[in-house]
Amino acid sequence: MSDFTLDGINGGKGESQISRIASWMIRYPPIFTLLLIVIVCVVIGTISPEFWQISNIFDIARASVVTGLFGLGFLVVLAAGGIDMSFAAIAGLMMYWITTAVAAYAPWMPIPAIILLAALGGMVIGIGNGLLVHALKAPAMIVTIGTQYVIHGFLLTFIGTELFVNIPLSMENFGKVELMRVGAQSGSIAILPAYVLVLVVAAVVTWWILNRTLMGRAIFAVGGSADIAERLGYDHRKVQMFVFAYAGLLAGIAGVIHVASNRLANPFDLSGNELNVIAAVVLGGARITGGGGTVIGAVLGVILITLIDNVLILAGIPSTWQTFVIGCFIILAGALFANSSNR
Amino acid sequence: MNSIGTIPKFSQAADEASQSDIDTPFLEVRGIHKRFGGVHALRGVDLCINPGQIYHLMGENGCGKSTLIKIISGAQPADEGEIRINGEPVTSLDPLGALRAGIETVYQDLSLLPNLSVTENIALSEQLVAADGKLARSLDLGKLTETATRALKSVNLPTDKRFCSTEVAKLPIATRQLVAIARAIASDARLVIMDEPTAALTKREVDNLIEIVDQLRSRGVAVLFVTHKLDEVMSIGGHFIIMRDGEKVQEGDVADYQKTDLSFWMTGRKIDVVRYRTTEIGAENLLVVEGLKRRNAFADVSFSLAHGEIVGVTGLLDSGRNELARALAGVEPADGGSIVLDGKSLHLRRPVDAINEQIGYVPEDRLSEGLFLAKPIQSNIVAQILDDLRDKFGMISKIRSRKMAERLVKDLQIVVADLNNPVQSLSGGNQQRVLIGRGLTIAPKVFVLHGPTVGVDVGSKDTIFRIIQKLSSQGMGVIIVSDDLPELLQNCDRIIVMRRGRIVETFNAENLEENTLYQAMVAENSTGKQS
Ligand SMILES: Nc1ncnc2c1ncn2[C@@H]1O[C@H](COP(=O)(O)OP(=O)(O)OP(=O)(O)O)[C@@H](O)[C@H]1O
Ligand SMILES: [Mg+2]
Repeated sequence: MSDFTLDGINGGKGESQISRIASWMIRYPPIFTLLLIVIVCVVIGTISPEFWQISNIFDIARASVVTGLFGLGFLVVLAAGGIDMSFAAIAGLMMYWITTAVAAYAPWMPIPAIILLAALGGMVIGIGNGLLVHALKAPAMIVTIGTQYVIHGFLLTFIGTELFVNIPLSMENFGKVELMRVGAQSGSIAILPAYVLVLVVAAVVTWWILNRTLMGRAIFAVGGSADIAERLGYDHRKVQMFVFAYAGLLAGIAGVIHVASNRLANPFDLSGNELNVIAAVVLGGARITGGGGTVIGAVLGVILITLIDNVLILAGIPSTWQTFVIGCFIILAGALFANSSNR
Repeated sequence: MNSIGTIPKFSQAADEASQSDIDTPFLEVRGIHKRFGGVHALRGVDLCINPGQIYHLMGENGCGKSTLIKIISGAQPADEGEIRINGEPVTSLDPLGALRAGIETVYQDLSLLPNLSVTENIALSEQLVAADGKLARSLDLGKLTETATRALKSVNLPTDKRFCSTEVAKLPIATRQLVAIARAIASDARLVIMDEPTAALTKREVDNLIEIVDQLRSRGVAVLFVTHKLDEVMSIGGHFIIMRDGEKVQEGDVADYQKTDLSFWMTGRKIDVVRYRTTEIGAENLLVVEGLKRRNAFADVSFSLAHGEIVGVTGLLDSGRNELARALAGVEPADGGSIVLDGKSLHLRRPVDAINEQIGYVPEDRLSEGLFLAKPIQSNIVAQILDDLRDKFGMISKIRSRKMAERLVKDLQIVVADLNNPVQSLSGGNQQRVLIGRGLTIAPKVFVLHGPTVGVDVGSKDTIFRIIQKLSSQGMGVIIVSDDLPELLQNCDRIIVMRRGRIVETFNAENLEENTLYQAMVAENSTGKQS
């Protein structure tokens, strides 16, 4: 046998119950996120029992879609050791271009084609991000903040902050497709829109890429240590191109979903959402320094943030406190996960 | 022997290669030059690797061994020179190209991906090479586990699911080294390069490695070791290549020469194996450790250290010696027992406590616990005494930092081009000296040296030993925690042997046989006596 025993490293037997749970959560960060979700639900549910309504759950699901798509893209970039600050801007740009172009020239276009177009458009801008980051050898955060400003500047110059009123019919209809309809006792009806499936599909695809393809492993390899990964034969450039392209692609789709779900939209709606998305992904246990994170964690993080954003008000807590609560959770997550990186 | 397709071909090639020189070698490099700014690290090196042979690349710290390895494995381009693989000239060798050609490397820094699992670190390369570097491929999870399991078995590491899915960053350094070796032998290599693979291994693991190397050789795989351990070179045998200042100065068959010949060529001077110990130890106890324990690591550890005394601590990996060293430095504090220094009872909870009590510490793993690799050499040296270097405005005095660093660099004979260069630009052995220098800045009363000469060449070892002796002659108490038995025998007054977390024997080091010490380390029954 070998000299090596795992007990020596992980603390082994005889730990107290609390430290066992803590070390479990450090190993599987999504557990921590889930725990916070449960706590928030129980607290709000106790204060105001009307929280336990199917319509609330549907609302959360609906509101999670756009943030969720952003979160998945951000997770992938973060896993590769990069940071993308431009996703909301990309979504805004695609939202504007696709909506106006389709309304003006191809109102007959079916929704799958529109989504595809937005995805491609977002991907092209994402590749631009990747090329810049790679060519300039500059920190991804700086480059993508730059891209964000450039896109915003462009939008402000050419369209201002006006609302779209002329939305293609196929987009409007897509937003209305129902996946599930439940009648409540009060007589009101709760509807779960079909576009939540977009997030489900995106999550499954992202999970598959990260965990079942060489690209996924290469992403984590580069995020863990770019120098070492290159020495082992991983193509850093390809990985960088891919993650930014993928984040752009999801942002493009998110733009279309936003228009379809709200029917009234403005390209700047989603701006300012960046920190929320980062908070969600970090609460899901992803390492801000790269090389870590899971899809399930990111999705749970998004749900947690959306939950706080939407239902704190039910418990009579002023909306100004939402940010405060999110802040506390982030600090808690930071304190817990900081210990997971060293021995 | 000839049931598997590739094996007979290799062994045949090996036979032919040994019969005549007309056959093409597996790898041939000629006239390699490499410069780093002003440093001319390689000055026209030739090297020829035949299948099924073992090579030892030796030389003093900074002579260019690692640089040569990086060029052969495609990690760094050469500035000039020619590389041929199987007789075919290779214009530019990148890491993937080297892997495809069957060149596997265990780098000096191990080059493991810290956030990936043991399995992935070992077995992903195989699939990356099979996909020719293309990433749009689905993973073959079954093959991943299979390859990793096979490789783990051959280095005697556990193969259970829990271990396989552990992140490499969470493993102790010796285990990481074994994982890196497992990666190199996981796929069908033609040449396995190991840059100081035994630096963190105990004797038992080294023996196992030697067995693995034997198997590789019999399959026609060439093995290139980079090493400072002459004893290992002599016992493994094969071909040796000695470099000095970026040039090859000698090569030949190990069997034809003596250890002293090799060290002469490496250093250009004669080094005898001597017992360095000369100082008379003081009468009074400087440090008294009583009943020290740490859960899951060690228990019931009691010993004393006099002024000017040097005590060695050794044992196998699971003996608790490493944990004891870290407890004395406050890195992983003890949870029971007492440590009394100069009559004062100490509570070492954090490293800074030990620093304040003037207990100096040189950690074993300079890469992950020791150095700020990307920071300047000077900052690394003065990192523990920043408070003492403040001027009257509370700023760190540049001039005093520089003076301190310059003095230590001179005392320890560290070869540096510029104190502002990052520590990672130094060769492995010189990095180690920087670490010792930093330990000395706090003017320690007790100096805990944890593997002080890991990766250090014979010439520098000599220097470091002389420094240790000088320090002890000034009254400093020294504790050397190490598995390098000759090092302990040469330097210590007493040697403590630990087994399974307890002290089992304490020897007087004078006239002690290495074998006696080794037997005490590995013995299975724990009915040791204490003196
Ligand atoms: N990236 C770099 N930048 C600047 N100088 C470097 C760099 N890498 C190596 N060197 C220099 O090249 C020389 C050879 O270094 P190398 O690491 O090859 O030595 P080595 O023979 O492996 O020594 P050791 O036994 O200590 O590991 C040294 O003088 C070193 O400082
Ligand atoms: Mg080296």
